[in-house]
Amino acid sequence: MGKADVTFKATINGLILILKEDDDFQDIYDQIDKKMASAGKFFKDASIIVKYRGKKLSAHEEDKIRELMASKTGAEIKSFKYDIQEIHKTHSDNNAQTSKKFSLKKFSYFNGIKEGQTKFYRGTVRSGQLISYDGNLVVLGDVNPGGEIEATGNVIVMGSLRGVVHAGADGNREAIVAALNLEPTQLRIADIITRSPDEKENKSTYIPEIAYVKDDTVYIERFLPLLK
Amino acid sequence: MGEVIVITSGKGGVGKTTTVANIGTGLALMGKKVVLIDTDIGLRNLDVVLGLENRIVYDIVDVVEGFCRTKQALIKDKRFEGLFLLPAAQTRDKNAINPHQMIQLCNELREEYDYILIDCPAGIEQGFKNAIAGADRAIVVTTPEVSAVRDADRIIGLLEANELRNPKLLVNRVRMDMVKRGDMMSIDDIIDILAVDLLGVVPDDEKIVISTNRGEPAITDSKSVAGQAFRNIARRITGENVPLLDLEADAGFVHKLKKLLGLKTS
Repeated sequence: MGKADVTFKATINGLILILKEDDDFQDIYDQIDKKMASAGKFFKDASIIVKYRGKKLSAHEEDKIRELMASKTGAEIKSFKYDIQEIHKTHSDNNAQTSKKFSLKKFSYFNGIKEGQTKFYRGTVRSGQLISYDGNLVVLGDVNPGGEIEATGNVIVMGSLRGVVHAGADGNREAIVAALNLEPTQLRIADIITRSPDEKENKSTYIPEIAYVKDDTVYIERFLPLLK
Repeated sequence: MGEVIVITSGKGGVGKTTTVANIGTGLALMGKKVVLIDTDIGLRNLDVVLGLENRIVYDIVDVVEGFCRTKQALIKDKRFEGLFLLPAAQTRDKNAINPHQMIQLCNELREEYDYILIDCPAGIEQGFKNAIAGADRAIVVTTPEVSAVRDADRIIGLLEANELRNPKLLVNRVRMDMVKRGDMMSIDDIIDILAVDLLGVVPDDEKIVISTNRGEPAITDSKSVAGQAFRNIARRITGENVPLLDLEADAGFVHKLKKLLGLKTS
């Protein structure tokens, strides 16, 4: 008998169980039983909403798992149902859904520029990938041409920024873009769009630069003093 | 009323995008109003080949989803009057649009432009179906390789099944020296198999690689043989009768001299 693969995922809205499409119900049941036992009384007296993805269970099976979870954890299971929002197939798909959700017509925009929520993304943002965040965004890696990063706050790239970047995506012109090597295909801050000159200059060394808006114009300058 | 022409091949890497960029530029140079549509969503290249990548704000998916007006998404070329690009989206996939939306889009553009060239993605899946949906005519690009010709044959069959009769053939990357040695299929061999009308033959030219990397279509380079071939093809599309290019002309100095002196060559 094969061991089923059940992944537990905690979200703000509750717990999500990710089941494998082709696993046997009995295997899944056993696996949940085991995992619940190892979690001990962590969920005791809590009331949680549980959803599951992947294999669709019958109403009878759903009841069985619900009972199992309630008895093992001592938590009140408020509901146990199939998660309609299917697992996003790919990373980029996932991001495509959230893209352009920041509308410039909002009355208030993200203003955690000085300090505020920040996402750290580690890795290279490749062509076709879109990293989007409602807050400040730090990329620990490069952004390649064709890759896009979009944040309602500041964008910092600890690497080469060669793709498209949009800071202050919901309208905050105070937002800045900084990178160790700033040569974006296109740079947008709030509602202002600039692009790099068509003639490519060959830079031999990387110079950390910062882009900001002043009087409707994007200025780019180095943010470190010249080393003597 | 403009004409919608899809450039397709089945196989990847035979030069669809290069063909679209060059023919489009050629038509624009002849004073036509031309729109190039990149339907290779997720793997767009036409913008890079045209050197317009950094101007993209809206793309074809934004247009069909009603996020912007068609006019807003059209990028005016920086060099040629009358040449416009409708770029593909990079962060989406082929399923982001459907054939019905493509037909609507083509009909809208047809009102105002003389030629609408559609750059089709490789393959015969959703992207291909989208690309051919709104087209009146088709150009099939192939190279003198057995695999490319095989795929071209399949594509011609699919085009005919979709009511796109009489597609025209463009044979790309021909090396006359190899054909002569019998190491490469000749144009006649290819026509024998595919049984379609020949639109043009483009010789293998390293200038294409240079111009593609620079984002400047080779058709503007008067010294490029491939550029000359594309110029002729653009003229043929407008209905002119242009003879096929003499591809032996690039066979070397001695050869040229012999020809000039009226000596028998080869």
